[in-house]
Order: sequence, then C-alpha cells, then structure tokens
Amino acid sequence: MPVSEVPRLLKRADQYVRQTKYREALALYDQAIRLEPRNAEGWSQRAAAKIEMERYAEAIADCDQALLINPNHADAWSKKGLALYQIGQYVPALAAATRATTLNANDAAAWYVKGICLEETGRSEEAEIAYAKSLELEILLDIKEEKNRIRK
Amino acid sequence: MKTNMPLTKPIRRFISETERLLDTEVTLLRKPEAAPGGTLLDIYTYNLDKNIIIFPASYIGLLKDFVIAKQCTHLLIKGAAAQGSGYRVLSYTEDSVYTGMRQVYLDALKDEAKKEKKLPVKKLIEMLFILYRQFHEDINELPWNPIVNARIYHRMEQLRKTQLYTLLKDGKQDMDEMMDMMEIIPRRYFVLDKSMFYARDLYLAKTLPSDKLMPVINIPQMKKFDHLEVKEMLTTRWTHTAWYQSKVFGDAMLTIMEKHLAVDWGSDATLEYYENLYKVGVNLTNALLAYMTMKDWFIWENPQHLLAAQEQAAVYEKAALKKIFGDLIEDQ
Repeated sequence: MPVSEVPRLLKRADQYVRQTKYREALALYDQAIRLEPRNAEGWSQRAAAKIEMERYAEAIADCDQALLINPNHADAWSKKGLALYQIGQYVPALAAATRATTLNANDAAAWYVKGICLEETGRSEEAEIAYAKSLELEILLDIKEEKNRIRK
Repeated sequence: MKTNMPLTKPIRRFISETERLLDTEVTLLRKPEAAPGGTLLDIYTYNLDKNIIIFPASYIGLLKDFVIAKQCTHLLIKGAAAQGSGYRVLSYTEDSVYTGMRQVYLDALKDEAKKEKKLPVKKLIEMLFILYRQFHEDINELPWNPIVNARIYHRMEQLRKTQLYTLLKDGKQDMDEMMDMMEIIPRRYFVLDKSMFYARDLYLAKTLPSDKLMPVINIPQMKKFDHLEVKEMLTTRWTHTAWYQSKVFGDAMLTIMEKHLAVDWGSDATLEYYENLYKVGVNLTNALLAYMTMKDWFIWENPQHLLAAQEQAAVYEKAALKKIFGDLIEDQ
C-alpha cells in the first residue's frame, strides 16, 4: 500500500473511533504508522484510541513518539495530559495540558483536563478559570452541533 | 462507578454518594447519537443489573458533568422512592387513553367550528393520540425538572454556569416545540403545554436565581408581555392571543409550583430527603393535572406497567378511536 493511502486510513480509523470500534481503529492506525512512521498525526490519533481502551502507558508512549516528530503537536500534548491524568500523574498531566492549551487555545478537552489537574493539586481558583474556558469552548461546539442537528 | 473518563471532584463524589446511598452501581457511557439531555437507564425502571447514564460523545467537559449530575439526582429520587414507599410513574390504560382522546376530540370540535380553514378529518383523527402522548411525556418529565435543577443549583456550585446555559437552551427548545402545530391542535392544549414550560422557567428564574431564565426575555412571542400595563393587558388585542393566554395560565401554574416546591434544597443527602423529593414531585404532578383537568387521563403505576402500556399504545389508540367514532373509523 502506498504512503499516499495514509490520510484515508486515518480517516477510516477515526470513523471507527466515533463508532466506539476501537479494535478496528487500532488495526488501521497500526497500518498507517507502519507506512509512514514520521506522521505525528498517526501516533497522536492512535494514542487517543488507546486511551479509550484504557491502555494509558501505551498511549503516553505514542504521544511521545508524535512529540519527537513534532514537539508542537497540540493534540499529542492534549492526549498525553489526559493519559497522565488517568494514571494519577497530576503534575506532569497539568504540564502537558497547559502546553496543549498554549499551542491550541480552542481545545476544550485540554482546558478541562487542566482544570481537574489544578483541582487535584489544590489550585482551585486557577481550576475555575480553566473550567470556564473549557465551558466557553464546549458551548460554542454545542451550538454548532445543535445547528447541524436542526439542519438534518 | 465504572468509567474511564475524566471527571471533576464534586461529580466523582456525587456519583459515589449516589452509589452508597442506593447500594447500586452507576456506569457512564458516551454515545455519538445520545440525546443532548442524556438518558438514564435505571434498575428501577428496566430489568438491568446496574444503572447507565448515557450522554453525547461531544460533551467532554462540564456539559457532561451537568448531565451526570442531573441524571444522578433523578436516579436518587427514583431509588429512594423504590426503596421506600414505592416508585411509580404516570402510565395509561385503554380506558384512560379513551378518556383523554375523547376530551381532545371534543375540544378540537369546538375549535374547528370557529375555523375558516378546517382541518382534514384524517389529520384530526391522527392528532388525538399524538397530543395525548405529548402530554403524557411532558407531564411525566416536567415536574421533576425544577426539582432536579433546584437541588443541583444548591448542592453543586461549580456547575451553575453550565446549568444556566443548559436551561436556557432547554427553555428555548420547549417553547419552540409544537410551533409547527399551532394552527392544527386545539388552542387549549397549545396554551397548556406552553404554560407548563413557562411556569417552570419562571420558577427556575426565581429559585436559581437568574434573570436570564425569564421567558419574557428569551421567548420572542413572550417579549411583548414584559412590563405590560394592566389596562393594556385587559384589551382584547392581547387576551385573544395564544401566547397571552399561555402567560396567564403559566402564572397560575407558577403559583402551584411555588406552593408545592417549598423545599429546603440544600439539605444533607439522605434517602429520606430524596424520598421526600419524590413525594413532592408526585404531588406537584397531581396538582398540575388537576389544574389542566386531566386527572383521569393517566394513572400512577409501576414503571413496568408503563413499558407494557407503551407496547400496547397502538392497540389502545385504535380501541379509543373505535369508541369515539364507532364504525366510521373502519374506513380510515
């Protein structure tokens, strides 16, 4: 299979993730990464699927691979933050989520993870600010989804 | 609790408290096609071994937390009732369906007599059961909404902004419902349905408290009634409109709500407290039904009765139509 097939594989894998068919998604991500190991997006997306499967250590390793290729890959930082939070590593999770929100201020999930990590580390006031930002973005997303629902 | 998703501390504590009080398990599930308000599949209604809260996959932060808080509060109310004097819901039988549909039909006839453009008979017949079920759905849900929201507001400060957004959205949607049927359904039912939601929003605006929830601010058709003078209100210009009538009936329903919802919303969480909330909800439901003269439309029964009734809905509808129209209905 040629490297040019990678975007198509990632797209199909993402569709599987949306349908919560993680095993099928993982098989396609593996294929995409074998074809193009320097594609940071592939590593980052596979990390997301592994988080859903509760394979957090593997997810962190995938995020690290993505960040080796592209240290400014916002989504990889975001997923790393989430995976680290899930294994109770609140301080490094906070650092990763903060990096994610710096690189992409519109990542509602990263702001939320930042909020819960701040809360876990006793920084409630800062957590409130992160939650507020997360909510603001979530609402914008929800309004957009609502419009799509009405259109359908 | 079974979940692999991040949650804020208050929500995790609340889920644990729910599980401890009810001695049950709560599972959280994300689904792309889930209803925006989430869905609760509970062991008191369905034959399940654990409770499942489903919410839209796109809800990743506080919107998800609010859905969980709302459904957990409802679960506590149901569970406390089930473990106490019994959990019942409004259900229906062949007879009660007939009573309701017959009343809708009589009211429809009165409305039709005044209309220039009459509703086709087939549409009128179809409308009877649709309207009956709409009211069943609404009255089974609406009274619990202010109870659940008032409780969350007083117990989970962190969710207040999320709650406000959700309530504004819900309020707008509820008021928009039936709009496309405004000229089809009898005026009385359009007004009563709108009044229920108007009263709920006004109650929440007073209780939460947030001026932003005022229907007279958010609902375009209601805006003209804000700061209306009494003299102006009494002119026929207003009194003949469905929205003005909704306001009048809604104000009366608000009085009923305020009377029944005199509850200490910040009390400690105990089974007795939640069982009392259930009783408050039942009393409020009965009071609203009495106000709308729909007391005989539905019956209080266990949730399994309702599930069985829903399966028989088409049979009940057909039997009611047969009773109302006699042999004429064979041709439809």
